[in-house]
Amino acid sequence: MEAKERKPIITLRDIRKNFFIGTPNELHVLKGINLDVYEGEFVAIVGQSGSGKSTLMNIIGALDRPTSGEYTLDGVDVISAKDSELSGIRNQKIGFVFQTYNLISKTNAIRNVEMPMLYGGVPRKARAERAEELLTLVGMEERMKHLPEELSGGQKQRVAIARAMANDPAIILADEPTGALDSATGRLVMDIFHKLHKEQGKTIVLITHSPELAEETERMITLKDGEIISERKGASS
Amino acid sequence: MTLLWENIRLALFSLKANKMRALLTMLGIIIGIGSVIAIMTVGDSLTGTLTNTMAGLGANNITVYLNMTDENSDNGSIVKDSDFITKDMLVDLSETFDDKITAISLEQQIGSGKAVDGNLNASISISGTSLGYFLLNDTKLLDGRFFSTHETETGSKVCLVSDKLVENMFESDNSKAIGSTISCEVNGKNIDFTVIGVYEYTNSFSSFGITAGKNVRTSVYVPLRCATSLTHSDTFTQFGVMTVSGINPDDFVKEIKSFFSSKYYLKNNRVYIDAYSMASIVESMSDMMNKLTLGISVIAGIALLVGGIGVMNIMLVSITERTREIGTRKALGAPNSSIRVQFIVESIVICVIGGIIGIILGCLLGIFAANLLDCPASPSVRGIILSITFSMAIGIFFGYYPANKAAKMDPIEALRYE
Ligand SMILES: Nc1ncnc2c1ncn2[C@@H]1O[C@H](COP(=O)(O)OP(=O)(O)O)[C@@H](O)[C@H]1O
Ligand SMILES: [Mg+2]
Repeated sequence: MEAKERKPIITLRDIRKNFFIGTPNELHVLKGINLDVYEGEFVAIVGQSGSGKSTLMNIIGALDRPTSGEYTLDGVDVISAKDSELSGIRNQKIGFVFQTYNLISKTNAIRNVEMPMLYGGVPRKARAERAEELLTLVGMEERMKHLPEELSGGQKQRVAIARAMANDPAIILADEPTGALDSATGRLVMDIFHKLHKEQGKTIVLITHSPELAEETERMITLKDGEIISERKGASS
Repeated sequence: MTLLWENIRLALFSLKANKMRALLTMLGIIIGIGSVIAIMTVGDSLTGTLTNTMAGLGANNITVYLNMTDENSDNGSIVKDSDFITKDMLVDLSETFDDKITAISLEQQIGSGKAVDGNLNASISISGTSLGYFLLNDTKLLDGRFFSTHETETGSKVCLVSDKLVENMFESDNSKAIGSTISCEVNGKNIDFTVIGVYEYTNSFSSFGITAGKNVRTSVYVPLRCATSLTHSDTFTQFGVMTVSGINPDDFVKEIKSFFSSKYYLKNNRVYIDAYSMASIVESMSDMMNKLTLGISVIAGIALLVGGIGVMNIMLVSITERTREIGTRKALGAPNSSIRVQFIVESIVICVIGGIIGIILGCLLGIFAANLLDCPASPSVRGIILSITFSMAIGIFFGYYPANKAAKMDPIEALRYE
């Protein structure tokens, strides 16, 4: 692999995030993050609770804006994008996977997977085909008409992964996707990420608490008090 | 377009999940729309009946009657025989205004009782009428004939009976009725009349609300002279005037009044002649109807306002409950506008369903009420279209604030919401 010539998907330069809680106290959650994630990479972010992982993830996912810094996502300057443009960026370039699945209740699996495509203006037929294809990819072809209420945690997370893939985003962002699952189910979900990475060449950024799972990725970034303290390159896979 | 359908589907799902809550929310809308539709149905039906009655009676008909002066009704003195309207006055009136009067209708009631034929009988009231009476009341002759000139002049014992009477006494066979003699028991006396014609019974304008049963009391008409000779009285307290079409009935009413007051009742302080046109009656009836409609509309308006606030409240609750869903949708790339549309559509769906239930209940209520009044009723299409539009407007108006609140939620805070 010609690793050094790969195209950067994410370029973060001196990203800072402060929260104001009352006038005298300013909370510095991110203290100058510099990070590049290249196309096709599988990166794990680890760190103690409260170290700023989710805050960083929200900024990468264009859900939040940094207090200062530069951020380019797949060639788009996110910092200068208007609010109305951010929703389009999230829709087309990012696939979120949450710890708590966040499937839309009373809406069956296939419709959940179709949702990003609905907002992306994909025609009905193409939407249904793509959703079926993705649910099959994550091994949920038997449960397409099931409501989230009728699915187990692991099954819900697989539907959520299929949903994240819907618009073929530039990057998949997963914030502790196995955090609410037992280790066997977590293993299954992790295998799906590996599959997406290997077979589809997806760029994945994964936040996890589990050192074993982080070890499996190509690159592990450790956050502490809003700073990157170590970076391990060249993964076991 | 697909997004709109998706939104309607979603709205229906969330209603289905909270049926009781949705129904309670809709109650204000249901009551508001229901009462508007009910009153419109009754109103349209009454207006329709009024218009028909007006066409039947003729808007140009004028009723002239003897009225007591205020002083007279105060001191209670009795009206004298000489105060009544006489035939001579009527002849004078017709001659004076012969370019304006088509016919004069006179009626003298003899009394009421029973018509008997063998062991069959029917409730009747007998009155002597001039031929003008049939003209003014647009009496429809089903069989036989009206009085001949000879019968009118001599006051023969002939009569016209209603189809209801024929139904009760002659097995609905008009030909069997015509020519036969019925014995009328009136005020203790028995008088025989020969039936010469059958007229169609109509529920008269004045009998609104009295449902026509099978054995309804109907009129038996005999020649006026026959009546006057029976009652030994040749004077009247009121009469009808059919005017030539095209004249202003209200102006003519004034002319008639001044004709009598200047010529016959100038020195009379007990009574005077009053008159009104059918047009003015219809006008005041529809005026009353309009006021009633306005009154109910105000009540309906208040119900709709309360209903609208209820919808807004439930939308705010729904949005709070679904904060995480809103956050998730935003993370998946939903623009604010589509979140706003989603909740406005939900609010519209609630209001329109409430409106439809209201329309159905209102139609049923309106038709029921109109039937009680014995007027034919059909749901007002204008009202239905108006109600649907109005329900949508309420949905948009009261749904906008909650929807906008949802649209402006911060995605991260929404996702974190427990
Ligand atoms: N909206 C906010 N307002 C104030 N403080 C916040 C907010 N969001 C996060 N924080 C703080 O930022 C720090 C990092 O949070 P987070 O990024 O969620 O950490 P992690 O995901 O690594 O556990 C925490 O101390 C948290 O309390
Ligand atoms: Mg976190």
